[in-house]
Formats: sequence, C-alpha cells, structure tokens
Amino acid sequence: MNRRGFLKLAGALPAAGLLPELVWAADTKTKNKTETSGKNVSSSKRRKAVVLIKLAGGNDGLNTLIPQRDYSLYTKHRSAARIPEHKLKEFPLDNGMSVNPYMTSLRRWWEQGELAWIQGVGYPHGVLSHFRSSDIWETATSAFEHSEIGWLAQVLPQYKQGLHGIILGEGLGPMAGKDCHTIAMQSPQVFLSQVDLVPDIQPISRGSTALKHVVNVQHQLHDAGRQLKEKMANPPRLGGFSTSVLGRKLESVAQMILNDVDTAVYKVEHSGYDTHANQLNVHNNLLFELAAALNSFGDTMKQHGRWDDVLVVTYSEFGRRVQENRGGGTDHGTASVQLVMGGRVSGGRVYGENPRLNDLDGDGNLHMTTDFRAVYGTLATRWFGVNNPWSQFGSVGFV
Amino acid sequence: MNTLTFSEARHLVSRTGLGVEWGSVKNLEGLSREKAVEVVLNQAAAPVRPAPAFTPWHKLEPMRDNSAEGRKDAWSIAQNEGKRLQGWWVEQMLLTSSPFVERMTLFWHNYFPSSIQKTLQPNLLHKQNLMLRQNALGNFRNLLKAVARDPAMLVYLDGYENVKGRPNENFARELLELFTVGSSEYGQADVKAVAKVFTGWGVHPSSGDFAFDSSQHDGSPVTVLGRTRAFTGDEVIDMLVEHPRTSERLVERVWQHFVSGNRPDQTTVQSWAAQFRRADYDIKALLRVVFNSPQFWEANNRGTLVKSPVELLIGTVRMANYPRESTGEMVNLCRLMGQQLFDPPNVRGWLGGEHWISTQTLLVRASYLSKVSRGNLNRRVETGLHLPPKDQQEMLAWMLAVPPVNKLPEIPGNRRLANALMLDPAFQVA
Repeated sequence: MNRRGFLKLAGALPAAGLLPELVWAADTKTKNKTETSGKNVSSSKRRKAVVLIKLAGGNDGLNTLIPQRDYSLYTKHRSAARIPEHKLKEFPLDNGMSVNPYMTSLRRWWEQGELAWIQGVGYPHGVLSHFRSSDIWETATSAFEHSEIGWLAQVLPQYKQGLHGIILGEGLGPMAGKDCHTIAMQSPQVFLSQVDLVPDIQPISRGSTALKHVVNVQHQLHDAGRQLKEKMANPPRLGGFSTSVLGRKLESVAQMILNDVDTAVYKVEHSGYDTHANQLNVHNNLLFELAAALNSFGDTMKQHGRWDDVLVVTYSEFGRRVQENRGGGTDHGTASVQLVMGGRVSGGRVYGENPRLNDLDGDGNLHMTTDFRAVYGTLATRWFGVNNPWSQFGSVGFV
Repeated sequence: MNTLTFSEARHLVSRTGLGVEWGSVKNLEGLSREKAVEVVLNQAAAPVRPAPAFTPWHKLEPMRDNSAEGRKDAWSIAQNEGKRLQGWWVEQMLLTSSPFVERMTLFWHNYFPSSIQKTLQPNLLHKQNLMLRQNALGNFRNLLKAVARDPAMLVYLDGYENVKGRPNENFARELLELFTVGSSEYGQADVKAVAKVFTGWGVHPSSGDFAFDSSQHDGSPVTVLGRTRAFTGDEVIDMLVEHPRTSERLVERVWQHFVSGNRPDQTTVQSWAAQFRRADYDIKALLRVVFNSPQFWEANNRGTLVKSPVELLIGTVRMANYPRESTGEMVNLCRLMGQQLFDPPNVRGWLGGEHWISTQTLLVRASYLSKVSRGNLNRRVETGLHLPPKDQQEMLAWMLAVPPVNKLPEIPGNRRLANALMLDPAFQVA
C-alpha cells in the first residue's frame, strides 16, 4: 500500500457504522490520554494548532540566513545568487548572520521574542532527491529506512481523537497513515459548497482496495462536512491578509482556527523553492511572500487573542548547495534553516550552529548540526505533550 | 477459441479508451481476444486538431531576461496560452476517433513530465505533445532519445543551462532516477558523469529547436555505471535503456496504468520486461503482451484502478454523449480533480491510482457527476440522451466494471438507473 494513500479503514473495521461514529465524534467529551498538566485540550474552547508550512522544492538556507560576519566566505561561492552586503543591515541577528532583507516584515516578531530560527537542520547522509528527502522528512526516518507513516501520524493519535489535520491543498506527507484522520481541501468555502452533495455511506467489507478506498473517503468526507458546517456557520471577516496564494491559504487557516474547528494541525504548502537557475529574484520573492503572509497571520491571531494557541513551523525537503551553478541558481543541498513563530515561542533567538562554509562535505554541501527529529521531538513533548518517538535526538528549546 | 463477451469487450474498451463507448464495445464483442487486442492496438491515429497560435521561443524567452516588466508579461502570456493549450488537448480527447492513441500520449506525458509553470513555454509544450503522440506506440529507445532532445524537456530540467565547466545535474538525475534505472542502481558520481555527457545539449535561440553546441560540451571521458569512455548522450541512453531495471520499471508503470491496482508479482514483471527487450523496446509489442495476458483479463483485477480525472470527465461525456461543459470549464475541472494537463505537479508525474481520490477531489468528482446526471448544464438543451442498453442488466454491465455498492433505485427507468449508477462509488473505478 502506497503511503501517500489516504485513511484506510479496510480490514480493521468492525460491524459497519460502529467505529466510524466513535472515530469522528467531536472530542468535547473525550480525554487526552496522556494529559497530566492542566493544559486544555479536552475542553471545547481554545484549541491549539500547529500550522505547518512546507517550502516545497528545497529552500536555500544560505540566502535565508546569510553570513554577515563571514561574508567573504559567502561571496567565494555566490555571485549571481548573492545578497548584497549593504542589505544585510536590514534584519541582522546577533550571531553573525542576517535574515534575507525581503523578510523585514518579520523583524518586529523577532524583536518581540515570538520568532525563532533553527539552523543547520537536516539529517546524516543527506539524500538529494526531492521525493526521497521529502519522504525522510515527512516520515522521520533515517536516510536508509523507508516508512509509510508520517511523523505526525505517530504523534497526533496519542494527542486527540477525531479530526487530526486539515490540509489546504494535497499531499498528506507528515499525516499519512491509517490512524491519522485528515481532510484535504482547496478552501473551506469551496469545501462546504460541495460537501452537501455527498451522501453518507457505510464502509464496505467486500470489493477491491480501490473501491473500498473510494467508499471510505466518501464517509470521511461526509462526516467532516457535517463538522465544518456546524463550526463555520458564521466565519469572521478577516482583513489585512496578503493576497498571495500563500496569504489566502493562511487566511483560510485563520478562519478555521477562529471558528474553533476541532483539529490539531493545518498543513499548507508554499511552492517554487527548487531554484536551479536564476535564483536570486525568484527566491527573494518567495521569502517576501512568506514573510508577508506570516506577518498578517500573526497579526490576525494576536488581534483575536489566539496567538498563544498557535505555532507556525516551516520545513523543506533539503537546502541547497553552497556553490552556485552556471545558471545563477543552486542545485540540491543538505542542511537548511527552519522558522518557528507563535505566542509561546522562545523567540528572538537562533538555535543550532552557524553554517561552516569552509567545512563542507564531499559534495560541497553543508554538514547538518541539528537533526530534524530533534525539532519533531520538541513538538511532541512540549507542544502536544505526548510520548516522544525521537527522544534520542534531544530537543531544541524553541517552545 | 474464446470470443469476447459483452463484459470482456467492455473491460478492454474501458482500460484502453476514453469512456466505455457503446459502439466500441459492440465492435469488439464476439471477436477473439487476440483479434480484439489487435483492433485496439492498430487503431488508426485520428488527425491532430489544429492548435491555437503560441508565442514562439525566440520571442518569449528573451522577454524574461529584459526586465521585471518583461518577466511579468512573459509569465502572463504563458498562463493564457497555457490554458488554450490545455483546452486544445481536451478537445482533441473529446473528439478523437483514436482514444487509445490519446491515452498513450497521456501515459508518456506522465512518464516524461514537463510543465507550463516551470518552462513558461506553451509553444514548446505543444511541440512536445506532438512528439509524444508520434512516438507513443513506437520504440522506447527512440522515444527517450527524442525526449532528451525535446526543447520543452531541456527547459523543464534545465538541460539547456547544462554547460562545460558548470554542469547542471537536474536532467541527469531524473534520467537515472525516474526515466530509466531507478534510485538503487547508481550513485552521485554517476549523476555528475551523465550531466557532463549532456553538456551542450540546448535550445537554438531563434528556431526554438534542439541544438548541440560543441563549444559548450565537455567531451572528456567519464565513468557511468562502471564503464569509462567519452560517451555521447545517445550512447548513455542506449546503455540505460538496455539495463534490465529500465524495462522492469516501465513494465511496472504499465501494470499500474492498465492492469491492476494490486502489485504485480516479480515473475510477471521480469517476463514482460524480457519480452519487451527481445522486441527491441517496441512499445506496441509490450502492450500486446500485456493486453493478451491472463492477468489483464482476470476477474480479480476488475475495478482495481481508479479512473483518472481525464477518464472520468472526458470518458463520461464520450460514453453516453452527456451534455458537456465548456472547454474552459473542462480544463478547470481537470485541475480541481488533480490532473492539470501540461502541468503535472513535479517530475514524478501524477501518482495516480488511489491518489486521485482524496476528500478534496472526491468532492469535485461527485459534484460534477451530480450535475451531469441532473442534466442541467448551462445552456445545453436536453438533446434526448441516448442510452443504448435494453434492460437493467445490460445497463449495469455497460456502465460499471464491478457491482454497485448502493442499492438500485426501485422506480424503473433507464435514465434514473443511469444516474444512480453514475453516482455510485463503483463508477469511480475501472
């Protein structure tokens, strides 16, 4: 079974109708099994949410956080794809690095201590294939293992019952796995306008895997539609969101959070980061878009008093090579940077080590210094409050 | 020997056509299996409809180097012409008398993806489509060599920027990982070597055709999969095509698209791959083996494939001449169902199978079929929908590959039954 398939109840179903009801029940009464502190997950108000943003294609960490102190080392490898030195004073950090000048809209979040960066994130023996490396990041395996189960699918079923994640777009990735319940949508509005046409249906026990899959998805869909319809009856009017594709997606996420939709993770993708040629303007534009969208998202959450309930985390399947290529772009690389943002972030800090530009691996790529599973482990323990499948990788103190 | 029943003829049409057209089924019913397969394989290729005019390479490409304004204009042109290009292929598929040829063209488009969004050159993608159609039932070795020279592919995988001294590895990597031997058969050194071999393969600035620039070509000897020499690109392609994993991987893709959603066993894969190699990589010969195989006809493999958006959208219209949406709306529905022609999501193509069905896409599929079955599509007048089956049994045998999941309507009537079957989950599979 391909792991990118969706929820499959086939084979695990008892008498038709019984399990699905339990599975999809709104969790106002069910308890978080591992909850010990007083944090409210089981009550119906103030749900927490992680907003996961995939920067698809491989984000160039070196042009996201640029070496200011070691600028001459940087320019040895970058000319057409170089951020000019005078621009590095627009958003400097205190560790000899500067943030890409197109992200200055996030500077005040940094100064408020609600934005943090994690450097050198990757894994040993970095694989340079989009699909393979995405799989590794999304299933939290090593470079030598394969898994069908997303990392969030290992965490969320311990955290709550009912709907685990909403994907705006496609690609379950981190949430693939039969125990992880998700819906994918273009937007809540489109979703609701069409879901009325979908009748309820009971999962079947006979038929091909394909047919069972169709039936199961129809059942999930109907149930999710029912929940969303109740919750989104009066969506708040949100102003000030950037109108980029990413901005609109985050606006939808904001609406669902503010309407208290019962889910733990929202996944959104920002695409275009595979900058093999003519990188500079393309990448700067993407980061500009990303910063603007995050800025308006943060403002909205703060205005509605929900900033403490939200944690934004970016990730990408790999970074890019230090040495630029002939086309003014960069090829696939290894370690890169991650951004985290939210009311509870221990921000205004950079975690992890600066990139060592004169200590590259045999392929001319950066050595990783923070294993991405440490980031996941931190989220598992400190945000979701569940058992940590990656405790051997340590943690990163960003939340 | 065994002659095809209605159900078997229906199965063959369903897996090789675009929609189960009554006439096509009746034409194959009563023929021997072998004869029916030959009829399908030898379908006379319908003429290709004239395409709208596309801004040529030599006008569009320089716009992107000039200024931010130029880049924006080039981008807009690409979006507009891209939509017209998609509409052109949709119309081709709706009206063609050789749906199998279109299906194979689509198979190769999925196998060798290129996209509007990355290339921003609809003119080149149009030419690529013509090239794929021409080679769709020809020889795989020749097809791969044509793909390596294809200007749209050269732009899509940055081959045209792969030059001596600063190689760009994108094409080399995908050639090895996706188009031929697969990720377990090579290492990073092979990628570097193959990239070098293809330096200088580019796009001519004025004609927009393939052009080899020897001054940009690094002809030094390299080691590819253990062999060292100053390879030409074609020699590398020959070596890769002849590697057994290549034919095995292609066979697995063919299986996934035409035979079954269940995994093939390795003996079958190896046997078919060997026959493909013995036929010197003749695509028709491979398909002959596939369509005549017991696995293709096996009852357990019915209903194990999910209909692709193209099959669902275009197939439903072709099948029963249901009222159809405008071209623009068809293109949009394809996109919403997850299959944008000329714009696969990445170089792996569309994953297909159960990936076509998510909570998102099922919504679109269900609403489209609802609309079709209710018959109130925009300004189309009810033209007296013709449903050939004479009774309920024939209707079921025609419309579905497997028995319906839901109960049938109790009130009789062909139209009512057809609508119910279209909205049944069984209609989503082939």
